[in-house]
Amino acid sequence: MSGRKLLMTFPVTPTSHLLAEVRQRGGYETLKRVLTSMTPEQVTKEVTASGILGHGGAAFPVGRKWSVIQLADGQPHYLCANADEGEPGTFKDRWILENSPHQLVESMAIAAYALQVRNAFVYIRGEFDLPYHRLQGAVDEAYEAGLLGERILGTDFSCDLVVYRGAGSYVCGEASALITSIEGKKGYPRNRPPRLTVRGLYQRPTVINNVESLSNIEIIVRMGAQEFRKLGTAKSPGTQLVSISGHVAKPGVYEVEYGTPLAKFIYEDCGGVLGGRKLKCIIPGGISTKVLTDADIATVTYDHKAMEAVGSQVGSGGMVVIAEGTCMVRLLQVMLRFYHHESCGQCTPCREGMGWLHRIIDRIVDGKGRPEDIDALVRISKANDGTTICGMGDAAGFATVGIIAKFRDEFEYYIANGRSKCGGVLEVDAPAASAPRETAHA
Amino acid sequence: MSTPVTSMRHLLPEFEKLKKRYPAGFESSLTLPCLRRIQKERGYVADEDIDWLTEYLSVPRIQIEEVLTFYTQYRRGPIGRWHLQACRNVSCSMRGAERMIDHLARRLGIQPGETTADGRFTLDHVECLGSCGTAPVVIVNETYHENMTVEKLDKLLGELK
Amino acid sequence: MPDFFINGQPVKAEKGQTVMQAAAAHGFFIPTFCWHPHLSVAGNCRICVVEVEGEGGGGGWVEIACNMPVTEGMRVLTDSEAVRQRRRETLQFILLNHPVDCGICDKAGECTLQDYHYELNGQPSISTVPKVHATKYFDLSSRIVLDNERCIVCSRCVRFTREVSKSHALGIQNRGDGSLVRPVENRDFEADPYSDNVIDICPVGALLSKQFLHKARVWYLKATPSVCPGCSRGCTIDLWHRKAEWKFNALDPRENTAIARVTPRENPAVNGPWICNKGRDLAQIFERPRAQQAMQKGQALPLADAISAARRLIGEARRPAALVSSWGSNEELAAFKAALGGRFTCAVKADWQPQPGERVEDDLLIRADKNPNTRAAVALFGEAQLPADADLVLVWGEGANFGTLPRGAKTVLLGSYLAPENGHADVFIPISIQTERAGHYTNFSGVVSRFEPIVRKKDSVAHAEQLFAQLAAKAEAIA
Repeated sequence: MSGRKLLMTFPVTPTSHLLAEVRQRGGYETLKRVLTSMTPEQVTKEVTASGILGHGGAAFPVGRKWSVIQLADGQPHYLCANADEGEPGTFKDRWILENSPHQLVESMAIAAYALQVRNAFVYIRGEFDLPYHRLQGAVDEAYEAGLLGERILGTDFSCDLVVYRGAGSYVCGEASALITSIEGKKGYPRNRPPRLTVRGLYQRPTVINNVESLSNIEIIVRMGAQEFRKLGTAKSPGTQLVSISGHVAKPGVYEVEYGTPLAKFIYEDCGGVLGGRKLKCIIPGGISTKVLTDADIATVTYDHKAMEAVGSQVGSGGMVVIAEGTCMVRLLQVMLRFYHHESCGQCTPCREGMGWLHRIIDRIVDGKGRPEDIDALVRISKANDGTTICGMGDAAGFATVGIIAKFRDEFEYYIANGRSKCGGVLEVDAPAASAPRETAHA
Repeated sequence: MSTPVTSMRHLLPEFEKLKKRYPAGFESSLTLPCLRRIQKERGYVADEDIDWLTEYLSVPRIQIEEVLTFYTQYRRGPIGRWHLQACRNVSCSMRGAERMIDHLARRLGIQPGETTADGRFTLDHVECLGSCGTAPVVIVNETYHENMTVEKLDKLLGELK
Repeated sequence: MPDFFINGQPVKAEKGQTVMQAAAAHGFFIPTFCWHPHLSVAGNCRICVVEVEGEGGGGGWVEIACNMPVTEGMRVLTDSEAVRQRRRETLQFILLNHPVDCGICDKAGECTLQDYHYELNGQPSISTVPKVHATKYFDLSSRIVLDNERCIVCSRCVRFTREVSKSHALGIQNRGDGSLVRPVENRDFEADPYSDNVIDICPVGALLSKQFLHKARVWYLKATPSVCPGCSRGCTIDLWHRKAEWKFNALDPRENTAIARVTPRENPAVNGPWICNKGRDLAQIFERPRAQQAMQKGQALPLADAISAARRLIGEARRPAALVSSWGSNEELAAFKAALGGRFTCAVKADWQPQPGERVEDDLLIRADKNPNTRAAVALFGEAQLPADADLVLVWGEGANFGTLPRGAKTVLLGSYLAPENGHADVFIPISIQTERAGHYTNFSGVVSRFEPIVRKKDSVAHAEQLFAQLAAKAEAIA
């Protein structure tokens, strides 16, 4: 099993997300205790002591981010939950939004109290329709019950929560682009300095945390940091929601306690590779994370330190399983097409580089690749590493370099022979009648 | 010849209510939700909507024009009654998205980016929708249709009048 | 006041400065496309990278200088190997989709991309994929043409309309390498009286002046300092005209003395790096058909004879009055005062009024007084009106309403341009214009700026500065 649970602790039914049932499970007791018997500083202290790392991909310590906010600086602070979840393969925040929205709402109220935030936002990607309605429904219920708005639970603390819908842009998952979008503009990321905790939304101190990171706040305050730290590992306390998909027998969202052996999770909990096939590799946490083969997986535990030791990352928690027989060249083409489509266009290396990478991989997949194309892909990737306004350019580069490093032979074969070594297959279990396609739609 | 458009000013009371949920000075933030609401009402955002919204929100007109072109979900013109958007990103491609898109294109007689002659369907391919565990996924207007197969697509097309 | 080091040299920076600002203030070269001293930091071009050496000799890092706050003791290198490598990569990215059509691009010779290519890279593109194409000739306005293929999306033009002219008339549509600079759809950019400044600040040949399009290579031209007479701001400008060694032999000789274009001459005390569009169109003022022939009631006569006739009229007048030109230079005004100020009752004339459709005044550059030297004229002649009983009116310059002059008064008209009133004046003497002589104007706030000639006046035309003394001389003193 993948360890103890903190979030996925109740059976999901058509009504389990509603306030009445949430209350039955003890919902909003923690908020009451916080507002009546804790100071904001005490809350932050508990969060920092828990050692919880961000669950959006960057794994920055949540307490450390919060501690930059000067509570008595006399200016408005803002809190934003990042529910833009656009990383391919990642759909674990969606589980919280659809099935446990009150966990997020209560946690955000507690976080807002700790950070002295009067106005909080959830930035939810525009495509998420059911999750939006579930979340907005929970927010409406909370307002009705006096759990949000003026003088929450009769205390002096007031907080308004607005659910802000995006409109179709992956880059708005980047924190500075997210707040620029909330300002009603294009989702253009910002250069740092200044840090967003110094000048963020409308140039005010702003904390942006992932939905799952925030949803853990109520749990940490309820259990206390010490109890929380009993789960997971020393460097990675607690759990991670993992969304697993691709060529896996049992795709879905699972809660994995940090430190769980990765092979155990994939082969036992998730049923292993589709149809009992051999594993080619997995993308562990978002498509820019370095792919891991069976050899890597065999001994690694699912936590930040161990994943970094094998050169990869926990990342966004979006795990993709790839079976033997999948064409990695075509898979990289899908990724580069995605990055090209999503580049905001602001900075030179990404704006030009994404198109450049995409046009080269298209040419390889069309059977017209040249030997120097592989080195060109790597060189362009390196020229995006650490040179851009946000991490998107870097991400495309890491994906490219990682896949080429592990599967260079496939690229060389495709270029030398004008076709895929694996028959161009992406869908390994396609019905027999359909032929695999060697070229993608434009 | 351009057809006259109906005004969207009847949404003003709704926008005023929305404004109250935001702190003072956040008028610019209303740009995205107001555009979404207008588009839901009209099916797209018309030039006169931009004129009116510019004034109502006191934002530069260029900001609204830029927003409309930057985000994929906004439209400046009408599309088919049923907007089919098929994901073709990593996990969906690995579970048959390309077959779904080919099938839709063949059944409807249009390519992604096009609308059927009778105005019933518009077909688009899109990037990851956050539904990878139930791939392949097709959105119909706003609703996710998950775990799609060719058979389910045929049934779906039959139901969409 | 932090002290830090650039290339090993100690530099004192102001509080809050970025490395870019401190470097620029102390003469260190850091290349820039998107950074501009008068605009907000965009930090998108990535060419301004510098290397910061790590503490105690540890690993350093390379980062853009325009957004890098100066910290005490930091050691910055502007030309290390890491920086050069990064610049070469950035230039490769910029050249990836750039059309490199310098052969037909007006910016050639003053193009930042050209200059940096040769200074910092010099290598051909390493791309093996086709270039992305975009609009080659987009009507940004009736004055400016946009080439989206050349555009490097630095956003200087957009930031200019947001922060300086405040027309908010330009934006960037779409995203990624499909990004396109576009004007707002309600044509506000057409109405922006500062629009042409984006031509100057565009680092490449994406934004070009239509009136200058394909007229001349910039190295055929020289820039002569001048002052815009369009209003009392007195922005300092450069008038561009053909160098002698590049003059046409075969075409209309007027091409050799014509104003090819007008650009701002940077002036922190007056206009910063900007001018308004009226200043760009000065050729339309200076190159109107010129009066070159002296006349007596419409009859042509030699200049010397006209001067004598005028002198006679002045001598006979009992109550001579003068309308003094607010376009007269400081030197001409002083000469008038010295020669004729004692004899004449003088009223300063506003030669030009705001025209219909012209912006009257704003808080950037444009002033309601559409004359360059009112302040100096008023300082010398006060603010009196023209006396109603004058029997001779000396009208100097344009803009007099002849219908309101005292009835029966004789008129001596000194003018530069062809006009119907020239033929009605008792004596008409053609005089030189600003571009034919050197001089100074005093702007509304007292700043004195110099202008220089770009062409010689014709012999049949007088310089007003010398003319005034001749008009005042006693009859018997003139042979």
